[in-house]
Amino acid sequence: MKKAMKKVEQKKDKNIAVTVKNLHITYRGLKKTSIRASWKHLGDKVELFHALKGVSFEVEEGKILGIIGKNGSGKSTMLRAIAGIFSPDKGKIDLHHHSISLLSIGVGFNRKLTGKENIYLSGMLLGFSEEEIAKKEKEIIAFADIGDFINKPVKTYSSGMYSKLAFAITAILETDIMLIDEVLSVGDAKFKEKSYNKMKELISDDKRTVIIVSHSLGTIKELCDEVLWLNDGEVVMIGKADEVIPKYEKFMSKA
Amino acid sequence: MSKFFKNMKKYYKYAIRSAKAELKSEVADSYLNWLWWIIEPFCFMIIYSFVFGVVFKNNEPYFASFVMVGLAAWDFFNRMISGSVKLIINNRDLVTKVYIPKYVLLFSKSLTYLFKMMISLGLAFGLMIFQHVPLTWHLIFIIPILFVLYVITFGIGMILMHFGVTFNDLGNLTNIVLRMIFYLSGIFYNIKTRLPGFLGYILLRVNPAAFCMNELRKVTIYGTLPSFKWLALWLVVGLGLCALGVHMIHKNENSYAKVI
Repeated sequence: MKKAMKKVEQKKDKNIAVTVKNLHITYRGLKKTSIRASWKHLGDKVELFHALKGVSFEVEEGKILGIIGKNGSGKSTMLRAIAGIFSPDKGKIDLHHHSISLLSIGVGFNRKLTGKENIYLSGMLLGFSEEEIAKKEKEIIAFADIGDFINKPVKTYSSGMYSKLAFAITAILETDIMLIDEVLSVGDAKFKEKSYNKMKELISDDKRTVIIVSHSLGTIKELCDEVLWLNDGEVVMIGKADEVIPKYEKFMSKA
Repeated sequence: MSKFFKNMKKYYKYAIRSAKAELKSEVADSYLNWLWWIIEPFCFMIIYSFVFGVVFKNNEPYFASFVMVGLAAWDFFNRMISGSVKLIINNRDLVTKVYIPKYVLLFSKSLTYLFKMMISLGLAFGLMIFQHVPLTWHLIFIIPILFVLYVITFGIGMILMHFGVTFNDLGNLTNIVLRMIFYLSGIFYNIKTRLPGFLGYILLRVNPAAFCMNELRKVTIYGTLPSFKWLALWLVVGLGLCALGVHMIHKNENSYAKVI
């Protein structure tokens, strides 16, 4: 017990960026319904799906955490909960006043609006002021590298261009914490390399905390300090990448 | 409620920018561009004035202005109500990717509707001058009336927006109800003279669209005072609806992303 206390104190010195405590997330209640359906199912018990069952972990400032696990183990749900899109049903998420952005395939774009306008709107939703975005606008457009399409409605974009712009926005408008959901394989080969390098550059900043969800164990191994292995909404293991990944690989080949 | 004001303070700039961008995108690729904002309400006014003024022989004084004022209020009411039902589903890309207080979406949308209503009201003024309607100082009461109309529709809108997420038939239901209100609001007839007595009295007071429309006509065309008692009453009802809507959204908004 004393040892554990000591450990906690030590961690406090190192500045924790994200604290997740006993996180439970359940899908239920607000189920799609219509008059006919609710008539038929009057009095039925509501089905519950426990996506996360009591997950706890901490990420230190500047560290990179990889999350692995098979499909449906709750990885994306957890990222979305940390980003504040879901509220936890039980438990707590503390970001210690850091700004956060979730990078998944496409930030919240309004498809009718131009790319440029969407840069501003997404940026403002991430908590940046118009002036701050105006300063970085050129850099974002240059990084996205989608040519004249920046002035065209987003609905005309190919999926590659869409993701490139999304990545550019989150990468250039730097938040303290970045959550990355399977987007390191965005765009063509050239952009992939560029984004991978940018990613590494962002990650190497020792102020920035990153949480990555990926099925590519190679990426995780190369980028992450620590790895969290989720299975069916529960933490199986958390630790150094070279400790967790071999066990995960063994588990996956068995199943 | 304090959370509501805090959020609004944080996001109003976003809402304004988003509303502007939306209006811009609406006219971006049509030949007549922003002229549509004027042509559309004007043409509807012509149609209603012809059908109900000439065909049904309505001899309401200043009929074109009468219709235009009614249409301005109705279009706003109609857009707010029907627009809010599918608002969250239509913004799926946004709602599932980033946190945004959901009433900010409605607020932003409402700004575009307000803008269009201002155009319609501008047209109404043009018509009033054209038809030599005597203009009086009572015009300043447009502001409190529009405020009450806004508060009511914003409240109803938030509640519909919440149920619209989970309740699939809501779109169809609101369509029917809106059509009913459309005919019962007296956009192209005067409820007071057509339905004298108790029925007219009730219709003008329980239907917020008809009520606000009638009050607007009082201060613009007839040059009389609005009914402050009923305005205050509807303001209280509207604020109550808003409080209820905000409460419902705060309680449920984080689950919307799970459903859509």
